[in-house]
Amino acid sequence: MNWFKTQISKEIWSPYAAGILLGVLGLLAVLLSNSLLGASGAFESLAGLIGKKIAPSLFSNVYWGVEGGRGLPIMRPEITWPVILLVGIFFGGMLGALTSKSFKIRFNDDAQWKKIFGPQPWKRWVIAFLGAIILEYAAGIAGGCTSGLAISGGMLLVPAAFLFIAGMFASGIVTALIVYRRRY
Amino acid sequence: MTNYVIALILGVGFGFSLNKAGLTKYSKIVNVFRFTDLAVLKFMMTALVVAMIGLYVFRGLGWITFPSVPATYIVGNLIGGLIFGVGMALTGY
Repeated sequence: MNWFKTQISKEIWSPYAAGILLGVLGLLAVLLSNSLLGASGAFESLAGLIGKKIAPSLFSNVYWGVEGGRGLPIMRPEITWPVILLVGIFFGGMLGALTSKSFKIRFNDDAQWKKIFGPQPWKRWVIAFLGAIILEYAAGIAGGCTSGLAISGGMLLVPAAFLFIAGMFASGIVTALIVYRRRY
Repeated sequence: MTNYVIALILGVGFGFSLNKAGLTKYSKIVNVFRFTDLAVLKFMMTALVVAMIGLYVFRGLGWITFPSVPATYIVGNLIGGLIFGVGMALTGY
């Protein structure tokens, strides 16, 4: 019991241990709900849900479905399974931080970030906002993100997952090279 | 409804594992692209292997059928991945 408590209150686990936990969860998702652990799709479903409320004609397309149209939309504009999963992820992350007592409201807290981009929080927010647009747009093109395509697709041995991982690392390394330059 | 409860519980576990692996930090994500901290790769690949073994054993036993898998369209997956990497290295998400 004491051993269990020490492990839970650790801030960082071995990535292998955390990876085993995620692997078991990915397996359970298929076993219990016949679903995959995707995160990015939830944002698209929510965007569609909100968009259809405020500008129905603009959001009436192949992606979110046409009212009375034939065929299923690519992203259902509803509270889908991934949306609930996303809510869980938020609280799970919070739980992880609370158990290790590292929970804190942060605006720009990463020492490495500050060294590269400077200490101003607005920079972090602007780059995070623009970067997140890039991430979500790319996930829309590829058909998933790191969790929904790379991990969930990879565990089913889908070729798409490995193409995506290859692309992700190729451009990630180049981007890091450009951002860090001599400090790489 | 049960399905939603399962989603919520799995989500909590997912977020918890990400937090404990340290992947909620900018430096952890970006350092995998600098080859100074390979936690992201270790985490991803361990999850992949564990789930993969389980899935194929369970399918062999006839307990599960695979859900509809993410579609493969080479150009889309590759270009999506290439753009995704830029966002990932910039934001650390």
